[in-house]
This record gives sequence, C-alpha cells and structure tokens, in this order.
Amino acid sequence: MSKILGSPRSLAILIICLGVVAASVLGGALGSAFGLGFFASSLPAIQLPAEKVTDGFDTPVGKWDVMNTMITTWLAMLVLILISLRIRSKLNDVPGRLQSLFEVAMEFFLSLCEQIAGKEKARKFFPLVFTIFIFIIVANWMGILPGFGTVGRIAGPEEIAHHHDAHGYHDPALEDSSHGSKESKPKAHGAHGDDHGSHLDSVKLHVFQDYEGIPIAALSPGSLQEELTFAEYEEKHGDIGAGKRAGHLVPFLRSANTDLNMSLAIALVAMIMVHFWGFSILGFLGHAGKFISFKSGPIGFFVGILELISEFGRVISFTFRLFGNIFAGEVLLMAMAFLLPFIGILPFLGLELFVGLIQAFVFSMLTLVFAAMASVSHDDGDHH
Amino acid sequence: MGDLGINLPGLITQIISFVILFVILSKVLYKPLVAMLDQRAEKITAGLEAAERAKEEAAKSEESIQEQLQEARTEGQKLVTQARETADRFREEEMAKVKEELEAERVRAESNIQRERDAAIEELRKEFAGLAITAAEKVVKTSLDEEGHRALIDGVLNDEGSRNN
Repeated sequence: MSKILGSPRSLAILIICLGVVAASVLGGALGSAFGLGFFASSLPAIQLPAEKVTDGFDTPVGKWDVMNTMITTWLAMLVLILISLRIRSKLNDVPGRLQSLFEVAMEFFLSLCEQIAGKEKARKFFPLVFTIFIFIIVANWMGILPGFGTVGRIAGPEEIAHHHDAHGYHDPALEDSSHGSKESKPKAHGAHGDDHGSHLDSVKLHVFQDYEGIPIAALSPGSLQEELTFAEYEEKHGDIGAGKRAGHLVPFLRSANTDLNMSLAIALVAMIMVHFWGFSILGFLGHAGKFISFKSGPIGFFVGILELISEFGRVISFTFRLFGNIFAGEVLLMAMAFLLPFIGILPFLGLELFVGLIQAFVFSMLTLVFAAMASVSHDDGDHH
Repeated sequence: MGDLGINLPGLITQIISFVILFVILSKVLYKPLVAMLDQRAEKITAGLEAAERAKEEAAKSEESIQEQLQEARTEGQKLVTQARETADRFREEEMAKVKEELEAERVRAESNIQRERDAAIEELRKEFAGLAITAAEKVVKTSLDEEGHRALIDGVLNDEGSRNN
C-alpha cells in the first residue's frame, strides 16, 4: 500500500478516482437530497411497450409503426449479415481470426447438439439454435452500447396525453402559437379538465433543452434537472421558459429484447420449428398422439392435454424470461446512472454483458432440448 | 396486450425479420462453414492415417536396411578373412620358396668356395714348390741335382698337405 502511495503517478490516479467517486456520490441523486446534485437528473420515463419512431402506416392487421426496437433488430441483423458475408468472402482452410471465432462457437454448439439430440438430428437443429444464440447475444450486447435509450426525439405533452387515453388534450403552448388568443386557454383547460382529471395532472413532464427547433434530445448527467407535472404545465400555459421544451424522451434505439414482440417472435419461431421437426421426424400421428391420445384411457388423455398446455407455457416462459431479464437490466442501468452518475453503472455493465450471454445461451439450449424432446416418440420412452 | 406492448403488426415484423436472418445466415454462414469444418475433419483424419502408414513404412524400410547392412557386414568380414588366409598361404609359400633358393644358393656357394680353396691350395702348393726349389737351388747351388730336390720337397709337401686336410 505504501509502495502505491509512494509513486506520484499512482497517487495522482488514486486522487482522481476518489474525486470521481466523490463527484458521483455528491452530484447524483443521493447528493441532491442535501441540496447538491449537480449531475442529478430525474429518472427518465420508463415504459413497457417499445416507443414508436414513425407516425404509423395502415395495414390490414392494424397500424404499423417502426418501433425503436425494430431498428435495433435490423441493426443486429445487419451486423450479423455483414460479418457472415465477410467470413464467407475470406473462407479459407487456414482460418482468419473472425472465422476462427465463429468456428469455435459453431463447433461448440454442434457438439452440444450432437450430445443432446444425436448425430443425425444435430445437423437439422443446429442452424436455428445457433441463429437464436448469436442474434440474441448481438442484440443484447448492442443494447448496452452508449446511445441506446439516451438519444431520441421529444414527445410533446399532447402525445403523452394521448398515451394516457386523454385524446382531447391540447398543448397550451401550441395553442398559443397557432391561435394567439390568451382568453381561450382557461376555457380549454376547463373543458378538458373534467375528462382527464387528476389522472393526467400528476403525470410528470421533463424539461429539455430546445436546440433551435430540432426535436432531438439526449440524456446526460444534469440534462433532466427540471420536471413538472401536467397540472403545473397547464398553470404556466405551456410557457416554461425560453429555449426549453417539455415532454418525454423517445429514444431512437432501444435494446431489441426489451420489446415483447421481439422475444415472442423468437419464441414462436422456435416452438413452431420444434413442432415442425416433431411432425417431420415422427409423422403426423406420432407427434400429435403425444397431445391427444385415447390409447391409455382417460388419464392418458388428460396427461396429453396437460402436455398441450405446457407447450403454450413454454412459449410464454421463453418470451418473458428473455424480455424480463433484458428489460430489468435496462432499468437497472438507468437507475444506477441516476443514483451514482459515471461509476454506479460500471459493475452493472459487466453484469449486463453476462446476463446477455446467459439469456442467449439459455434460449438456444432450451430450444435444442425441446426440439430433442419433440423428435422422440413417447411410446419409446414408456416401454424402455 | 396493448399495455405490454404486444401488437400484431410489430410481432409479424419481428417474426419476418428473424426468419430472414435465419435463412440468410443458414445460406451464407452455416452451410459453407459447416461444410468446411467437415472437410477439414476429413482431411485431418486422412492426414493422420497417411502419417501412420508412412511411419509403418519407414519402420519397415529401416528394418530391411538394417538387415542389408548386417548382410553386407558379414560378407565383408568373410571376404577379409578369405583374403587374409590367401595372403598367409601365399606368404608361407613364397617364404618356403625363398628359403629353398637360399639353401640352394648357399650349397652352391659353399661348393664353389671349396673348389676355389682346393684350386688355390693346389696352386699355392705348386708355386711354393717352385719357389722352394729355386730358393734351395740358390742356397745349395749345384750340390744337388734338380731331380733329387724335387722329389724330396714333394715328399715333404705331401706330408704337410695330408696333415692339413
């Protein structure tokens, strides 16, 4: 210890580290309780559904929006496709570094497939299992890059009110500019005040810097110091000061698996493929007989129905396991950045890397196990 | 469902995205890479087999070389022994021959010497007799006739010669 303190360089590093820790503790949410909190920001709005980036197109199945999670999905796809094209163009018997990395990973999964499903079926199951693994891991690790969840557009009060089912709400600030009549405002407030009532009034709005009309905002330490509720916003008639805008941040990018659509999509594809393999290996009756069987009496029939229900349970557990882990990780990172800016997030970034890997591995391994189970007939198992 | 954020258009979009990714990766990445892995495994197996075979062959040829070497060595040994025997025999023969020749030479030389000596003695005797006569003639001067002296001296010399022989 004295050796470390003795060298001026390491002493300086130690002092800088202590300074960062002190600044983080005092400047964060903890310090703001004592009137400090120069880096503090209010916790950004966290919502379960992915945010829309576009205004929406009408399709036969409903309104289609480009979600921020979709953009991340496409980015992850792009990364994977570019990597595989590069590997393919340089495919060589003496592998390069990138090819080696994928060869090692693929050998690992191939041997796992062979252990669990047997040699012939391994080749069948491998592509899906490996795709699930690398897609989920790339998407998860992408999600903790800087810029994800922190850079986006500002959703104004009207849009927020719309989300809270107050469809008739009008932004007083916009009315100011469009009509210029100050008399109509209290009336409008009165007319709609009964509709949304105290429900909307307590919803918080964040105040962002207005970059000369460009509706882009970024979260950074100290960027969200001010917040006000809808009621306060109404009282000020939308006038919150020059160069400032009220609203919520809608990030352009958000980790793909924090959207239930994504995890449900992978789960559905996985389970559909599992049953497709079940039918193609055992034949229609062989596979369907596991779920609807009249051979072994009423108990057998009941067990079959239970099996059928558990298949749906698998889809749901797949979906929520992945979604829950990744979404919780995002919220955790956000909360730590809010509590202890700069340093609080560091150990949890490592944790999220680990969670992202484990979730990808668990999803692909469960798919493999289910596929191996589905491709084995129950009758074989009973008579052994 | 809406509160959870699940909506049909979004779900369909994500399913289509995932299936597209699945298909593209299967075609572009897995198929060639798995084929390459299989091919490499085959190649390595073949290589190992070939190495094993080569090793066996090498061991075999090593053995045969060793055998040949051994053979050559014994052959050489045999040749050397043979040559040595021949040389010995030849030397002994030559030696015997030389010895014989030497013996013959010696015998001849001895007999020559003998003859020479006999001749020399004969010569000497004759010379000596002449000298003695002449000397005696000079000493006695005509006191004796030449024939009486010669007979006398011959008698003396013969006595001497037989004693010497």
